[in-house]
Amino acid sequence: MFVMSIPVFYLRIIMIRRFYNMAVITINGTKLTVPDNKNVLDCALENGIYIPHLCHHKDLSPLGSCRMCIVEVEGQEGLIPSCTLEAKDGMMIKTNSPEIEQLRMLALELLLAGHPEDCSTCPKYGNCELQMLIQYIGPKTGRMKLWVKGFKENKENPLILHDMNRCVLCGRCVRACNELRGVKVLQYQKNEMETYVGTLHGKLLKDADCRFCGSCAEVCPTGTIRDKLISSEIRREDAIVPCRHACPAHTDIPRYIRLVKEGKFDEAAAVIREKLPFPKVLGHICTHACELSCKRREVNEAMAIREIKRYAAEHDTGSCWKGKGKQLADTGKKVCVVGGGPAGLTAAYYLRKQGHSVTVKETLPKAGGMLAYGIPAYRLPRNIIAEEIAVMEEAGVRIETNTKVEKPVELLKEFDAVLMAIGGHQGVRLPMEGNQLPGVLLNADFLRNASMEQATGMGKRVIVLGGGNVAFDCARTAKRLGAKEIHLACLEAKEAMTADEEEIIQAQEEGIFIHPAHTFERITGMDCVTGVDFMKVKSFTFDENRRAVIEKEEGSQHHIDADTVIFAVGQRPDISEDAGLILGRANSIAVKDIEKDKRTSIEGIFAAGDVIYGTKSVVMAIASGREAASQIDQYLGGSGDISETLAPVEDVNPYIGQCPGFGYQERHHAQIDSQEQRGDNFNLYDHGICDGEICAEAGRCLQCDLRLKISKPALWGDFTEGKEA
Amino acid sequence: MQVLDKITTMSSQDVLKQIEEMGICEYGVYHGPLAKHLTKSLPGQGTWIAAALNNADTDYVLLDLLRENPEKVLKGLAIAAYAINAEQKILYLPEGQEALADQLKGLAMQYQTQIKTEFLDVRANKGTVRLHLVTAASLSDAFEGIGDDGIYVSVNGSQLKKVPSSTKIEELMDIRDVKAFLLGYRLHGREAAAWTVKEARIANGVIRGLTEKDCIVCETEKRLLQSRKQSCGKCVFCREGLIQLSYMQKEITEGRGKAEYLNLTEEIGAAMGSSTLCSMGQMSAEIARTAMGSFSDEYEAHMKKKTCPAGVCKSFVHIYIDPKLCIGCGECMDVCPKECITGKEKYIHMIDAFDCTKCGACMEACGQDAVVQTSGKLPKLPDRLTKVGRFKKK
Repeated sequence: MFVMSIPVFYLRIIMIRRFYNMAVITINGTKLTVPDNKNVLDCALENGIYIPHLCHHKDLSPLGSCRMCIVEVEGQEGLIPSCTLEAKDGMMIKTNSPEIEQLRMLALELLLAGHPEDCSTCPKYGNCELQMLIQYIGPKTGRMKLWVKGFKENKENPLILHDMNRCVLCGRCVRACNELRGVKVLQYQKNEMETYVGTLHGKLLKDADCRFCGSCAEVCPTGTIRDKLISSEIRREDAIVPCRHACPAHTDIPRYIRLVKEGKFDEAAAVIREKLPFPKVLGHICTHACELSCKRREVNEAMAIREIKRYAAEHDTGSCWKGKGKQLADTGKKVCVVGGGPAGLTAAYYLRKQGHSVTVKETLPKAGGMLAYGIPAYRLPRNIIAEEIAVMEEAGVRIETNTKVEKPVELLKEFDAVLMAIGGHQGVRLPMEGNQLPGVLLNADFLRNASMEQATGMGKRVIVLGGGNVAFDCARTAKRLGAKEIHLACLEAKEAMTADEEEIIQAQEEGIFIHPAHTFERITGMDCVTGVDFMKVKSFTFDENRRAVIEKEEGSQHHIDADTVIFAVGQRPDISEDAGLILGRANSIAVKDIEKDKRTSIEGIFAAGDVIYGTKSVVMAIASGREAASQIDQYLGGSGDISETLAPVEDVNPYIGQCPGFGYQERHHAQIDSQEQRGDNFNLYDHGICDGEICAEAGRCLQCDLRLKISKPALWGDFTEGKEA
Repeated sequence: MQVLDKITTMSSQDVLKQIEEMGICEYGVYHGPLAKHLTKSLPGQGTWIAAALNNADTDYVLLDLLRENPEKVLKGLAIAAYAINAEQKILYLPEGQEALADQLKGLAMQYQTQIKTEFLDVRANKGTVRLHLVTAASLSDAFEGIGDDGIYVSVNGSQLKKVPSSTKIEELMDIRDVKAFLLGYRLHGREAAAWTVKEARIANGVIRGLTEKDCIVCETEKRLLQSRKQSCGKCVFCREGLIQLSYMQKEITEGRGKAEYLNLTEEIGAAMGSSTLCSMGQMSAEIARTAMGSFSDEYEAHMKKKTCPAGVCKSFVHIYIDPKLCIGCGECMDVCPKECITGKEKYIHMIDAFDCTKCGACMEACGQDAVVQTSGKLPKLPDRLTKVGRFKKK
């Protein structure tokens, strides 16, 4: 067999060479078949042979400046850098010899002469390629004159920090900025005798039209160009693309923004739908945690991510996803989802796609949960909810409305699994004087009645107690229902209010009085509400047990007249121990682990959404619903893999090019109806970013995700022992 | 343009062949047959061709060619371009030569040649065939039938001139006081006087005689600093090598030279020669290598005896007031910028060596020539104010 295999082996090599223009080269006695003319350094690295290198980077053109990668080639004079050496058939290469080691050492010593010696204080310690070269090549001798470049650490730029004292002028950042990205901001500069890397005339990056893609920091082998925001505490990939990480559903935000920029709205909507079955709903009302972590915030203003999502969803024809998503064969298993809100519907939709038969049982007359009965119609038109739920029904999700489930355990007789996603529909009544007086309302009831166009019991002068988004929904709904004077008071200081800033601003525009940092002393009145006594808060903190510690301002007691008080200080699930499930804090259904394990105290019953963690956000409920769907699918014998690919995989062009004034491009704003137009009706008042501006807004994106496509450095430590050069 | 009209009747291969037959060589650092030089780096279609000085050249004496007879260079470049079907012709001038570039603009336009005033980055110009200015001129001469074996030289900074290649260095200048010759990028001892200019392999036209008044170390440091200014700084060995080499020379001029500098200079110099991409790195260490190799006496004087034989290195120079000559007039005190001279009328003045910057102002001010500079040992001097005429050696 051995005798036979040799000719076969050579025949194969000959064939490979003929058909693919391959060359056979020998490195340190190991034969490698590599593409003709490919640089020898990459050939070696890809085949597990380490050759030290510094200026070379796989994605960048070879520079041949650092001389770390020198080798000997049989028949050629001198030592040749392998990064610029093209592989030719029959080449015999040696990567180590006393001459090579001597010249490498000299190159390293020369580089280190002008490099700070304090490795241990460098933030790149442990990840520095120069440090690894020192470990590989050996400690330097003391014969060179050490000198200091004398640059000040430059922290003036957003996102990126320059510590040019640590620069070894490998030129990777210059090549990344020029060749890879085409931004051409970083260049070699000369100052009398010193060469350094920087912008022309030392301009700030923003003024030099930097696009803050971060590729310079990505390829920098030392601690010279660093990310200001990235710390070791967060997973690198998440830190590099923080928006995607911040989104509870991890929507591929940079990807759909890029598609919107290119005018590919169908593809963009498909990318959104890969993670979110309510794109339009979220386009209108998402709390957009993504925007808070958007890196563009550091440059000037965050991207209008929600508006971009909304635009894509509104202009989607469905060509990419309609009828094309995943639908596994029927499994014969039956699942009941209790509660037709975002969490329940999301879980139902994905469980249906996994092939299970799914029934949603909803107490109220319409599905949608808080979307339909909590969020007012002026923020979220009801037809949008219906439209997105229809997609789920088309997929085969059965929805039974006006069906209240009292004993979930009994459902297990009929169903293989049950998901409790009943949300939090019971408003919290604070224990205080006067809280039971006629005219005292609860947020959830008030908003539900308003949504159902039923009597709310509201008078003309309203005080809303609470500072979150729901409180504002109550106040602004009251305005639209005809209240004459509306006050909103909360404990938190203005900066600490949990409501979105735009809600606060718009409420004030609508004439709602806002009183932050107020304690609610008592609700006054004998037979009905006559107002509320308040005091001003001096400080509001939490002690070690997370109990509120409030210090009041002396003599600040005052009274506001009202005939209606609405509590908007949280909601709780409408459930009791009678349901047979163990309950947790604030009447929630206890699950094993809010994120990872949604099993309740009863085998076969799971829970997701607000009912397990309290009132949060729609996108959070969707993420929770997805997690539950995956877990229930596994419980029913499926793979648990609910992912689907809806958008075609596109080739992304990393050459983003130059864009004058990029850093100064301002965020585009949605068109909002004036206070006069919107204050007295429930029509949608926010019309999103207009057609003419949406591509420009999408164009503001830093495209942080492009950076993840840059090859990782080939480090000595990654090469197995005995194989390295 | 007649020559150009003539060659355009020939095929480019024939022109190339003729260049080969004429035996024209590339001038400068990359000396060798031009025909080979032109075709060696020929990348194929869309080739560019550039005429320039060698990157290592910091003296620019050869730019005189462009001042006197620019057409010759442009014509030669055009011939070479024709021979290799080059698409674009560029004339590179060193940075800072914008005035000359302006002068040449009109003429260059006639020859469809672009002028750039920047360092010729060989990395950015991989596909560009590079030609020395002098080569272009010789090419033009050869095709005009003015074949001679002359070599362009500038002697001790004088106007560029062409001399027969058999001319000996000693025929070009008075060599009586010369201790060293700077020939191109290298320093040589007196033995070079008998060399012909051809043997001297001068790659930048520079011939200079250094006399006893010139300090080899200072000269070397100065030239290394010029190279540092000009280097693009991309190759590690060129950038960092020059920093170390110039630092060592500086240390020697200041009396802090170490014996190991000789070996280190040689090691760095050799590495620069083999491990850099253009003549800048390849040639700029030569001055240090040849200086330390050929003038070890002078280096030894600096390092061991702590003296500068030429009296140039200020660290080794002492200025003192001769107590026998000083008349106590105070003129020197008035001019001293550091106010480091003490004395009063009719008393012998004294210089505080600690603060003295050796500027020499006092020497000029003294009417008695009492302020003296020496690179040797100081004589016995008064250590307290002493009346004129009262100081006696013990």
